[in-house]
Amino acid sequence: MNLTDREKKMLDGAFGTGPQSALRLLATLGEIYGAERMIPVSSCHVGGRSYLISGEENVEWMTDLLNGGARFQVFASTNPCSADSERWKEMGLPEELVVKQRRADEPYLKMGAVPLGSCLPYQLGNVPLPGSHFAWGGSAGATFVNSVFGARGNREGSPSVIAAAIAGVTPEYGLHLKENRYGKVLVDLSGLDHSALRLSDYSAIGSYVGRTLLDKTPVVVGLPQTFSQDQIRFLISPMPTAGAISLCHIVGITPEAPTVEAALGGKKPADKISVGLREMQSSFEKLTTTRQEDVDLVCFGCPHCSIPQIRQIASLLEGRKVHANTRLWVATSGHLKVMAQLMGYVEIIEKAGGLVLTDLCVAPGAPFHLVPGVKTVAINSARGAYFIPGACNLDVIFGDTEDCISAAISGRFRRSR
Amino acid sequence: MKIILKGRKVIGGVAEGEAVVTKEPVSFLGGVNPDKGMVVERGHELEGKSITGKIFVFPHGKGSTAGPYIIYAMAKRKTAPAAMINVEAEPIIAVGAAMGNIPLVDRLDKNPLEAIATGDRVRIDGDQGVVEIIKKEDG
Repeated sequence: MNLTDREKKMLDGAFGTGPQSALRLLATLGEIYGAERMIPVSSCHVGGRSYLISGEENVEWMTDLLNGGARFQVFASTNPCSADSERWKEMGLPEELVVKQRRADEPYLKMGAVPLGSCLPYQLGNVPLPGSHFAWGGSAGATFVNSVFGARGNREGSPSVIAAAIAGVTPEYGLHLKENRYGKVLVDLSGLDHSALRLSDYSAIGSYVGRTLLDKTPVVVGLPQTFSQDQIRFLISPMPTAGAISLCHIVGITPEAPTVEAALGGKKPADKISVGLREMQSSFEKLTTTRQEDVDLVCFGCPHCSIPQIRQIASLLEGRKVHANTRLWVATSGHLKVMAQLMGYVEIIEKAGGLVLTDLCVAPGAPFHLVPGVKTVAINSARGAYFIPGACNLDVIFGDTEDCISAAISGRFRRSR
Repeated sequence: MKIILKGRKVIGGVAEGEAVVTKEPVSFLGGVNPDKGMVVERGHELEGKSITGKIFVFPHGKGSTAGPYIIYAMAKRKTAPAAMINVEAEPIIAVGAAMGNIPLVDRLDKNPLEAIATGDRVRIDGDQGVVEIIKKEDG
């Protein structure tokens, strides 16, 4: 790899052992992917803080970096973690987890991370510009930024994102390069009656697209004229978990996809698929691991709930009560919770017996298995349903938002269709 | 008998030790116990075998992107392999080796899974990408 003088100095340890380790990690990745050079990144979103995922090892590594003089050179916000540090008691979590989580967060804050604690940092001021380069942990966020803002970055693990935030650069490979960003497979959604589809249905469609295309970049056509940010998020966030897709061209929305031809880079698509009701429905079945109806915990917020979602949950819960044997969690960011409080939604949800939680990842870093009595979790997203069985060793039901609310109230999950 | 293979430097450094070879990919997260330095993946051909201080030879990594943390933890707890040889290194193993500062070479001019046997004495010069193998005496 061709390194600049500054990068060579960093690699030689001139700025301390912290930046040296960061650059060595990035240079290694660059060698493996055949990158020719490093490029500056202008936005980072750092993960790895979930104590239940990366544990003591990440605390040790981050502390070594900090003590070796590493500081975040780039705007770096944080992903969510394993607990809401204010509401852990009501969540039924052991205090030990919260103590460990607070300790895990210390080096992040000392290095200058902005503690947004959310997977929707682009709703909270971390907005990469079109054509700029980013390094984000959390595949839902990275996929959203590639697909909606037209900024360029790869789906990557936490260590290389942290290293990029310290060094200010990342190796130029994969989706940083224009030639790797063109779409490969045309995905036609025009056969669906979009006026009848609910938010979770788009998540089911995205999951089908992910497991069918694997790592081939989709070019989606056939969506309605008005398509909300929530609908986009639900459609694309399961793609990196069901497959290995980190960029989805949505024709008419993605900056690089004003037309099908532009999205495909003037080439013919390698394949074409159509998604209908049957394909959509198959995701709900595939991601549900139990036939039991009893639900111990109903959860919303993978990715974190937006204000329109919190509003919908509040309107469905108004004047009703969550079942005595069932818990209901709504996960969002601290910023959005303040808005939802001002709008009265938090009061409605908590009066009904639910909890509106912040800074909490409800999959894959979720602490469901540490809550006494929880065996089955119902969730309204394919992304969440993918992570929960492996991360928490629990059963999961993937259902529509309204069915999940009904389950929270009756304690039993039944599909309305 | 001494054999010299040439490959690609991924992480530099010099190490020498006894080889442990597997033809199966390795997941460090969930597949290796970092306190014991032992492969624990159920049904893996190395299940129950220690890799601490060894020259660990395997095709490539697999599994979670959190795998590098385990390699790093092993380096900190002194249970890590002395060096690693891959057929083709991928980001999980390479990032872990970079974090733990463990020599790693790949793309050797002969398939290391065939050229090296468990028990062989192996010396790695990660910076030069050179692997020196002294075959275990027969019998």
